[in-house]
Amino acid sequence: MSLRANASRFLFPDDSDGWLAILRIGLGLHLALYALSLRSDWSYFLGASGSGGALGREISESMLLAETPLVPRISWFVDVGARIGLSETAVLTLAWACLLAAGWALAVGLFSRSAAIAGWLLHLCASKSGGFLVYGVDRFMTIGLFYLMLSPLPDRLALDHRWRGKALGRPELLGFFRRVLQVHCCLIYFFGGLAKSLGSGWWNGDNLWRALTRPPFDLVDPALLVHFKGLVPVAGIGVVLLETCYPFFIVPKRTRLAWLIGIVVMHVGIGLMMGMYMFALVMIVLNVAAWAPGLSLPSWLRHLRLRKRSRTTSDRVERDGQVPGLQRRPATDPDRAAGEIRSALAPGWRHGAIVIHRPVRRDETARDRPVPSARRPSPIS
Amino acid sequence: MHTVRPRALYTAAFVFHFSVIVGVSCREAVFNVARGLTFLPGSCVSAAERIEPVVEGALGRRLSSSNPVRVGLSTYWELAGVEGRYGYFAPNVPGPYKLVLELHYPEGGVEYALPRASSAAAGLRLVGLLDEIGRTRSEPLREYMVRSIAQATWREHPDAVTVRAVFGTITPPRIGEFEQGQADRYRFLFAYDFTRGDASGREGQ
Repeated sequence: MSLRANASRFLFPDDSDGWLAILRIGLGLHLALYALSLRSDWSYFLGASGSGGALGREISESMLLAETPLVPRISWFVDVGARIGLSETAVLTLAWACLLAAGWALAVGLFSRSAAIAGWLLHLCASKSGGFLVYGVDRFMTIGLFYLMLSPLPDRLALDHRWRGKALGRPELLGFFRRVLQVHCCLIYFFGGLAKSLGSGWWNGDNLWRALTRPPFDLVDPALLVHFKGLVPVAGIGVVLLETCYPFFIVPKRTRLAWLIGIVVMHVGIGLMMGMYMFALVMIVLNVAAWAPGLSLPSWLRHLRLRKRSRTTSDRVERDGQVPGLQRRPATDPDRAAGEIRSALAPGWRHGAIVIHRPVRRDETARDRPVPSARRPSPIS
Repeated sequence: MHTVRPRALYTAAFVFHFSVIVGVSCREAVFNVARGLTFLPGSCVSAAERIEPVVEGALGRRLSSSNPVRVGLSTYWELAGVEGRYGYFAPNVPGPYKLVLELHYPEGGVEYALPRASSAAAGLRLVGLLDEIGRTRSEPLREYMVRSIAQATWREHPDAVTVRAVFGTITPPRIGEFEQGQADRYRFLFAYDFTRGDASGREGQ
């Protein structure tokens, strides 16, 4: 298959809109929670220095202006508001209310595209004007909202589709944008893990201890950490490995669910043990949207069981030259022996030179069946 | 809208987008090594120092600030949220910073205050601000940030005449030291005196 065809298969796999529904609802709720969590500090963080702002947005905006004049900022809205007679406080309050409304609209899927654009724009303005007061959660929210804004909205769970009859996006575009999110997640964790792996403190537990005892992240009693001090280096190394190896284990379907659970558990731990609830939530939303659709625990366990059974059978064949259920006898008729092995190893396993054609289960859909190599599904799906 | 866009356009956007992300991420990795923040040996540090300008150049950071390519790239990565690094608490976890505001009253009384936020979510953001104050190499920017916080506190204590802002860093004990009862170590970094009126800072050591 040509490079072009491979690239096309990788970038534009047909996909359903399940991931988009997760991303939209998750980011919508997150946006609403973000607005609510900053309700009482909104003006304090984004106000000008003369009007009660903690830092004054002027310095952040000036530094941004030196870099590029094209990135939106809160002052744009304040200037427009001033022309129509609105005070800065009124404009900030209005921006906050619009952000909250955009979050709820996204969560229920009403005017999805407009809400996604408004949410991205207002959040971007707030994070750029609040310059020194932003942290990781804002960056990941911008990334998520940027992708959501460009994705083929609405999805089938959105009110836009159910009530307003808006058409769903094309499967190949849904697949493309999911692929973008997946690749970005891989890069985020790989480079994050790589940076951690170069710090000696992550290998001996020092950094994890410092992260968990550093105010204001010190929610866990240090005495409790001391009690489990043997686990601290293990957990530190675990974090590094989970992140650095993310692309190598989340992409193959066999290990995807296990790695996804590991990453989600890690973020739940960060949320509960360090108080970074919003950060944990946005990372879980991005991960689950990127990788969870198409995965189910029962099918994964069944897959593992089948593999284990098949491997056990194969091992016995190699060791004893005998297949369970078959009597040992000289293989005088190779075709007959192959047929017996084939039926004994079903469902579906490749052993040596014998290719077993997997029987189709009654409950199996056309989508689940293996397809000819020319139409093979993309390696990541 | 989507039906008229050819796949080639999406593919080109994909390649550009992830080239930028990989470039920015590599820049951060090289920056960490070049500044000696990692455990890698000196030969790696000098190699990273040589690579750094190349990566910077590839990202347009060596162009003049008004160059359209640089402005275009900067705008794109700000809009897409891909301008920053992903290595939080990496390669190592920095010690926390502490800013104490000493409020002096006309009758000679002294009161101490800390920068405050009304919610936990806002508190996390203030910590980021303190980290930025501790990290920045720009003295005017640092003074501006400290003065802004001092002014915000002053508004809540209007009777205070002068405010001394004392900034320091805390080195927490390691796990073994903690077991032996060792407490946090505080290290003074700098202080500013602000008087009502001009609110100009005077640095002390």
